[in-house]
Amino acid sequence: MVKAIRGTLVKCDASVKAMLVDIDSKHRNEFIIEDLDEEHVLVKETKVAQFKAMLQNMMKEKLKEPELSDSDD
Amino acid sequence: MPPKRKAALEKGNGEDDEMDYSQDEEELSDKETYDKLRDTFDVVAMSKRARAAHPKDSASFLFKKCDQWDAQLRPDHLNRPIWVDDAGRIILESFSPLFDDAQDFLINIAEPQSRVSRMHEYTLTPHSLFAAVSVGHSSREIVEKLDSYAKTPLSPTVIAFIRKSTSSFGKAKIVLKHTLTYIESDDPAILEKILKDPIIAQCRADTNAGLIKEAAPKIGVMAIPGTKMAAGANQVAAAAKQIPQPNGEPQKPAEIIASLREDDDDEEIAQVHSFQIKTDERERVIKRCQDIQLPLTEEYDFNNDEMNANLDIDLRPHAQIRYYQEKALSKMFSNSRARSGIIVLPCGAGKTLVGITAACGVKKSVIVLCTSAMSVVQWRAEFIKWSNINPEDIAVFTSESKTLFPRNAGIIISTYSMISMNRERSHESKKVMEFIKEREWGLLIADEVHVVPAVMFKKVTYAIASHAKLGLTATLLREDEKIEDLNFLIGPKLYEANWQELSEQGHIARVQCAEVWCQMTPEFYMEWLKPGITQKRALLSVMNPRKFQACQFLIKYHENRGDKIIVFSDNVYALEKYAKKLGKAYIYGATPQSERLRILENFQHNDAVNTIFLSKIGDTSLDLPEATCLIQISSHYGSRRQEAQRLGRILRAKRRNDEGFNAFFYSLVSKDTDEMYYSSKRQAFLVDQGYAFKVITKLEGIENEKDLAFASAQDKRELLMDVLLAKESDAATEKIGGDLFSSRFASKGKKRGGVKRTAGMLSDLSGGQDMAYSEYAKSRNKELMKKKKKGPQNDFLRKLTQKKK
Repeated sequence: MVKAIRGTLVKCDASVKAMLVDIDSKHRNEFIIEDLDEEHVLVKETKVAQFKAMLQNMMKEKLKEPELSDSDD
Repeated sequence: MPPKRKAALEKGNGEDDEMDYSQDEEELSDKETYDKLRDTFDVVAMSKRARAAHPKDSASFLFKKCDQWDAQLRPDHLNRPIWVDDAGRIILESFSPLFDDAQDFLINIAEPQSRVSRMHEYTLTPHSLFAAVSVGHSSREIVEKLDSYAKTPLSPTVIAFIRKSTSSFGKAKIVLKHTLTYIESDDPAILEKILKDPIIAQCRADTNAGLIKEAAPKIGVMAIPGTKMAAGANQVAAAAKQIPQPNGEPQKPAEIIASLREDDDDEEIAQVHSFQIKTDERERVIKRCQDIQLPLTEEYDFNNDEMNANLDIDLRPHAQIRYYQEKALSKMFSNSRARSGIIVLPCGAGKTLVGITAACGVKKSVIVLCTSAMSVVQWRAEFIKWSNINPEDIAVFTSESKTLFPRNAGIIISTYSMISMNRERSHESKKVMEFIKEREWGLLIADEVHVVPAVMFKKVTYAIASHAKLGLTATLLREDEKIEDLNFLIGPKLYEANWQELSEQGHIARVQCAEVWCQMTPEFYMEWLKPGITQKRALLSVMNPRKFQACQFLIKYHENRGDKIIVFSDNVYALEKYAKKLGKAYIYGATPQSERLRILENFQHNDAVNTIFLSKIGDTSLDLPEATCLIQISSHYGSRRQEAQRLGRILRAKRRNDEGFNAFFYSLVSKDTDEMYYSSKRQAFLVDQGYAFKVITKLEGIENEKDLAFASAQDKRELLMDVLLAKESDAATEKIGGDLFSSRFASKGKKRGGVKRTAGMLSDLSGGQDMAYSEYAKSRNKELMKKKKKGPQNDFLRKLTQKKK
């Protein structure tokens, strides 16, 4: 019997994709259905929101944001 | 900074009474003096106090300290070019018809912060006002003029600040006259105030109770050598000698020069008052005066100094100095005395000539300090080129050569480290050092003054008794906020050139700046994401294959245009990889001197060598007027100075005056890595100078390029493996090792070829590990070397050919 999973296609930069794959591998592969190519992945539809939040966290943690202004306090 | 400053302020207030300035002061108490002084005179601190009472509206928090919502716009505000806010910041509209006048005025009274194309930003600081007073602006004049340019009436805070700073700064001067030290002022009340201080009273040398009174020297009789005015003055003087004057009395040249001045102000006979202090207590008095808020200006009356022998030096007739150099020097030499201070000019705009002209103005013994032995040689050559000085009179004091000048006056060129060295010296250099310490120097020229740590510079100034000090630099900034100390150690900033103006006039090259964003490949980014040491991540982002391709593409594109290209990389591993893969010559710290020279020569004259790769040794010391394009693949964190210095390598491009010529500056940045963050920091200085960085996300035509390196996934993986392995092998230590010593402690010119330590196992060296050598991407360096020798190199083969002959 064929089993279908609803998925969402995510298009992103190569670097963001690398982050997504990284998160996925740390969570027992429960987000990504299929790794398509450098800029596309298929993600389980039910987990998209959670996945997004985790990506946000990771970006905050890994990337330094340019400061807006350092002249004033 | 502000929170720290606040803390210091509180601390300063608390300890005010206990502060005792004993004779042998240490660094720390000096530091406190600086901090305290900074706080009391700080416009921000002052406006903070005032702001507490300032009315607020709902949007006030957005504007922080410069909330001007209740200021009244003047009805004719459209015709007025500047805004002044409470924090002492001035915004100038550069499209205003009054721009030129306003700029001339503002540059005298405020420090330029940022000069982008439409808006210029200046800040009023105690030092800038101090400098304004010392070139002859009165406090009333400053307020009135500023008010007339401003769109809104000046706020009382700003007026109070100007009054306060100008009333205390620059009123009293410390002068060396006949080698004795005097404190001088045109207002006897100020001297009385100073003398009331018990410590200064102790240091007083003359015993009579009154003050010495004399006529003030006339302002503006100094003609800077090399300017039209000086040339004109000479002609007039010559003419005056030939033609007898109607009244039979030939005018004195000095009077003629004075009469040549257009703006002859109404002359009152001004009086100056002075008292003498003991020369050996000089430092103490200066410090004490800073503490009681009457800082002293240092000026040198070199015309009347008969004790120190004159030096026979003049600019050669062909040396015409440019208008901005003249402006800078006229600030140094107004009222015919030499004033200490710092002159800021971009790289390649003729800092050396400013130094030499200053030396020609003072005409006394001069000591020049530079950062490296290489620039010592350059300075000497420039002196001989631009002035008529007898080459014998220029002595050089470096570790290789220690000479003295034979006559009473001369020039010594040395490095900071030679003068401030602590270790035991050789007999020879001891002799030279004593010679230097014994003498009085007319002028001390400090080249690249921003790199010298304050402690070191202090040591230097204590060792050398110089009447005036001139600091020269292109980038008066440091990442560690120590730059302020230079204000006290040397003097205020006298002049800062406008980069954009100079490049418009063709004195320096026009540069197109671009930041190229390169996507990371997923494989590299996966590795980058793994928690690891920062240096490893940095290496991964430098070695990003897309970046490599971008670099290759740009090199090819610019070589086809006929540009000469320099590629900068801080990371030696990447440097070598790139250069070998692309078949280009490269130079880094460990490259032997002879090989370097050969590569540089080839780069200059050989059409086949259009690209060289340089590590950070190329940042400052190399002078390559051929280079017209610059690509930066890795850099030292967020160092604004490095960015500016590197840009300086192409500012002096030879072809800059060609029609429509542009130099190019590319910074390659791997997207979504730390490089992006640092890159924005690094650009801050250049953006303030009016450079605009174009962001290029995709290089046009790169996909049509055929033989790009690392095109296939296989190649990319191999590169990644290489990078990862390289990190673990012992080669890694060397690459990053260079960074550890030279640029984190940031200070001096890079010493070439020092000792290098690498960690390794004995078994590695003996071949016990499975290590094998193979050279598959050969260095272009060796090829260049081989080109020189022709014919077979092997002894045996050579003999064979000889026999054949």
